[in-house]
Amino acid sequence: MNVFKIALRSVQYRGLGSLLTILSMALGVMMVVAVLTIHGVISDSFKSNTSFGYNILVGAQGGSLQLTMNSVFYLSQPIDTLPYEYYLSFCDAEVRSKELRNSIAYKGLEEYQHSAELAAHELPLPGLGGFEQLTAELTRSLVRDQRLAFMEIEQPGFFNRFTETAIPILLGDYYQKEDSAWRVCATNRDFFDKLVLDVEKQNHFEFTEGRCFDNFDAEAGYFGAVVGSITARQAKLKLGDRILVTHGDPSSESSHLHDQEFVVVGILAPTGTPNDRVLFVNMEGFYLINDHIKPVRDDSLLSQPAVELDPFAAEEAEENGTTATEGKAESSAPSAAGAKTAEPIDVQLLNRTPLPVEHREITSILLRTSKNDPYNLLGEMLPPRIKEGELANSLKWSPFRPVRAQTGAQAVNPVGEITKFFAFFVDPVRWLLLGLTILICVVSGLSILVGIYNSMSQRHHEIAVMRALGASRPKVMLIMLLESVLLALSGGLLGWFGGHALNAALGPYVESQTGVPLGFWHFAPKTPVFQYLFGNSNLPPALLQFAVSPEILLIPGLILLAIAVGIYPAVSAYRADIAKSLGK
Amino acid sequence: MLQLQQIRKAFRQPDGTETPILDVPEYRLAAGEQAVLIGPSGCGKTTLLHIIAGITRPDSGTVKIDGVELTKFSESARDRIRADKLGYVFQTFNLLPGFSALENVMLGMTFATNRSSADRAHKLLERVGLGHRLSSRPSTMSVGEQQRVAVARALANKPKLLLADEPTANVDPRNQQQVIDLIRDTCSEENIALVIVTHAMEVARQFERVDRLDELNQVVARARNAAV
Repeated sequence: MNVFKIALRSVQYRGLGSLLTILSMALGVMMVVAVLTIHGVISDSFKSNTSFGYNILVGAQGGSLQLTMNSVFYLSQPIDTLPYEYYLSFCDAEVRSKELRNSIAYKGLEEYQHSAELAAHELPLPGLGGFEQLTAELTRSLVRDQRLAFMEIEQPGFFNRFTETAIPILLGDYYQKEDSAWRVCATNRDFFDKLVLDVEKQNHFEFTEGRCFDNFDAEAGYFGAVVGSITARQAKLKLGDRILVTHGDPSSESSHLHDQEFVVVGILAPTGTPNDRVLFVNMEGFYLINDHIKPVRDDSLLSQPAVELDPFAAEEAEENGTTATEGKAESSAPSAAGAKTAEPIDVQLLNRTPLPVEHREITSILLRTSKNDPYNLLGEMLPPRIKEGELANSLKWSPFRPVRAQTGAQAVNPVGEITKFFAFFVDPVRWLLLGLTILICVVSGLSILVGIYNSMSQRHHEIAVMRALGASRPKVMLIMLLESVLLALSGGLLGWFGGHALNAALGPYVESQTGVPLGFWHFAPKTPVFQYLFGNSNLPPALLQFAVSPEILLIPGLILLAIAVGIYPAVSAYRADIAKSLGK
Repeated sequence: MLQLQQIRKAFRQPDGTETPILDVPEYRLAAGEQAVLIGPSGCGKTTLLHIIAGITRPDSGTVKIDGVELTKFSESARDRIRADKLGYVFQTFNLLPGFSALENVMLGMTFATNRSSADRAHKLLERVGLGHRLSSRPSTMSVGEQQRVAVARALANKPKLLLADEPTANVDPRNQQQVIDLIRDTCSEENIALVIVTHAMEVARQFERVDRLDELNQVVARARNAAV
């Protein structure tokens, strides 16, 4: 028999009262644990998701947080789009050159060259007429060279010197099945080849089934799709499934189903990131859907004789405040923006021909700045440069301009955005929730006090008996405090299990909403507690860096609470008059 | 073994006046000696036992147990001496209801400097005829059984002196003698001095030494003389 056993017996003897007190404490602790773990796991996931191997997000001007939310976490709606050419300004000469050759402007020049060659073949014998033809050919050749030079088709993009990896993504469509919908993200295979899930461990995407889509392949053409693990499970998608995607948010009236099928060619292994609940489609196929063709001015020139193609004229006209084809534009059906739009392109025809660059747009660019920059100076320099208006310059190479062009872009550091988001919105909410749940714990603690206090009359007699048997005042005080601690820790243990059981129960919901897996054995992530509580004060660095899961702190916290609420009964026991109490 | 010298105790009344209740010039008990203390209600029997046990401090006078002057010590030291050298049997048994018979006996051992073993608690309960009820709670035991557990608890630490405050007052007549025999026999076997306070003359008559507290206590004696 020892003081611990005496306290335990006392708790057991007051069975129902003790049980209610323990349950009350368990409820409080359960909520604390649930708040800590759910918030911790989600915030950890948010923060870790920004270390994918890119450090900058480039998107249309607008809310930087919104850009981060939709591009990194697939939440919220995309702000606006950027011209595809802007993405090319981050690419090297090889990629840019290849892409630009798939443009209306370049193809126009090819036709121009072809017509010149035809003209040369039709040349009569040398003479005055032949001289005129030769002169015309030389002139055309000169013009073509000038135009090619202007396109800088062999040059790297303006921002390429800052860039290690640039990956375009397009958002806005959904895959809907019954009452559920999953985000569709159109991208190219660089997303899976070049992005890493964990920079330190260099973990890449893995496929449980199938493979990544190619720009074009025999199985799916341009219409390959890769499914995130959660999406695959929830939507019951498997390899070879043919799917249709919805244009826009399915909950809005303006949304509609595209008629172009995509073929599932791969299913991703779980990553514990929001990518698990996304359906990825090949960007090339995505562009070939009717609604995704960006209207451009002067698109009608595709059908005009090549000789009339003049990017310089378009450029000069724009500088003068008019468009090169304004006259023609006015005669056609006006678009929503008031400009003449291109004729709809026959998608079936384009199924074998990627959409020209001028017709493309993107939501954002996932950007990794140059590796030769250990101090991330480029990462710091780049965002201001992007905001300075390179967007307009990136469009000058072609006379075919977007009808509704963005005036500017923004570059944001997603880690910074998430940190700000947490600092301004999430952390205060967490503190509020924690405050409330701690208050519940304190109330539960007070129930210990009330429970013990209400039985003080009986306890005084027991204490007197123990004192008569030789127990000292400090010892009976210790027994009372131990009883309080036992009640609090039992409640704490029960609440801990309850909290984690709650996590396990809420796990599927949290996972479906945030993409973050949450189960019984997920603990609140380690936190530098002293730094959190005292900021960067004069405490020793080792102490400031000491990180521990806040759940561990529940133990000393509950013991302190138990001592605080048990101190009054304990002091009362300390002061008990044995002679008086024995007589009762 | 036990020596009381000039023990005086008065209780303060709510109006501030002090009412003397005990004035015992001398009381002695040899080692292993057994005495019964009788007297009318209110003559200070329980108070005297509390003073001997160090539960209550006298206003003046000295209490020596086994050569140790109890009244010189601090409260915590008195607690320790009480745990090591004294056994106490209460009129109302005072068993803790949440503890089994065995645990109640062992509770007495918890606070002693040299703790006896659980084996002794077993043996004591067997000695008082409760070897089969070790894990029984007091609420499931008869009054006689409860008092036997209380006796076993008082003897757990091999005390030098056993104080019993009307140990048969709440016991039915059939069990009274059994309890008295148990206390006396055990004290004899282990050479424990015994002071029993009782109202029951049939109990008192069994003892060679019977002390009348109303005669020992000068407060009562003076009051009686004044009345006469």
